[in-house]
Amino acid sequence: MTVPEGFSEIRLIDPFEIHVGPAYGAGDIPQRRYAFRVAAHHCNLRGVVHGGMLMTFADLALGQAVWDVTDKAPSVTLNMQTQFIAPAREGDLIEVRPELTRRTRSMVFMRGDFTVDGEIVMTAQSVWKLLGKD
Amino acid sequence: MTEGAEIAAPGLPADAENISIAGFNKFAGPFYRLCDDADIRRFAFVALDKHMNGSGTVHGGLLMTFADISMSRTSRLVSGAKSCSTVALNCDFVGPGRLGDVIEARVRATRQTRTLVFLSAELSAPGRIVMTASGLWKITP
Repeated sequence: MTVPEGFSEIRLIDPFEIHVGPAYGAGDIPQRRYAFRVAAHHCNLRGVVHGGMLMTFADLALGQAVWDVTDKAPSVTLNMQTQFIAPAREGDLIEVRPELTRRTRSMVFMRGDFTVDGEIVMTAQSVWKLLGKD
Repeated sequence: MTEGAEIAAPGLPADAENISIAGFNKFAGPFYRLCDDADIRRFAFVALDKHMNGSGTVHGGLLMTFADISMSRTSRLVSGAKSCSTVALNCDFVGPGRLGDVIEARVRATRQTRTLVFLSAELSAPGRIVMTASGLWKITP
C-alpha cells in the first residue's frame, strides 16, 4: 500500500493494530497527525468503512497521541465516545490531528476530529488512565 | 443449525451462528449470535491472538468492533429494518479480556422510535464484566 504524501508508516506493536494496519504519522508533537487508508477489508457489505475499524483507528491514533504527550508512559483506555458523522469509503484517507483536552497526574483526556479531504466523518474523545498513577 | 452455518468455535454452544460472513466483520471476527435470553440479544466471540494488544489483553478497538456488530445486528432485529447506521457509541472499559476468553455481549433495546433505536450492552468474560456500552442507531430507509 502506498504511503500517503507527507506521512511515514508508524511502528505498531499491538497484534490487533498490526492486523488492521498499516497506519501513518506526520509532523512533530504536538501538531502530529495520524492517518490510515480505507481498504476493502475495512468496509461492510454496503462499501462503507466499518464503525469498528474507525473506532479501532481512533483508539490507535489517540493512544499514539497519549504516548506523544506522556513520553510513552503505559496507559489504558477507560472510556471512548464516538459520533459517526458521515460515511467513508474504500480508498479514502482518514486523518486526525489529536487534541489534548487535559492531562492530570493519573489521567489524559484526548479528542479528535477524523476527516476525509477536510470533511469530518467521525469525532471521538477518550479518557486514558496512566498505569501506576493513582 | 441453519444450512451452510459453520461449526461454532470451542467454548461456544453448537447452535452459535457465525454472523461474520464478509468484509470487516469477517476480517476482525469470527463473531457469533447466540440464542436470545427473553428480550436480551446475545452474541459471543473467542479472544484469539490477533485480537490482543501488546500487554496481553483484548484490544479496545476489537471490543468496540464486537459491541458495534452486536448492537447494529440488534438494531435490525428489533426494528425489522434491513439496514441501520451507528450514530453514536459510548464505551466504558471496565476490565481486561484475556486470550482464550469467550466474551459474550448481552444487548437490550432501551427505546425504539420510527427512525431511531437506543441500545445498551454489557460485554463479559465468564464471571467478570469487560465493557459496558450504550449507543444510538438510525434506521436507514
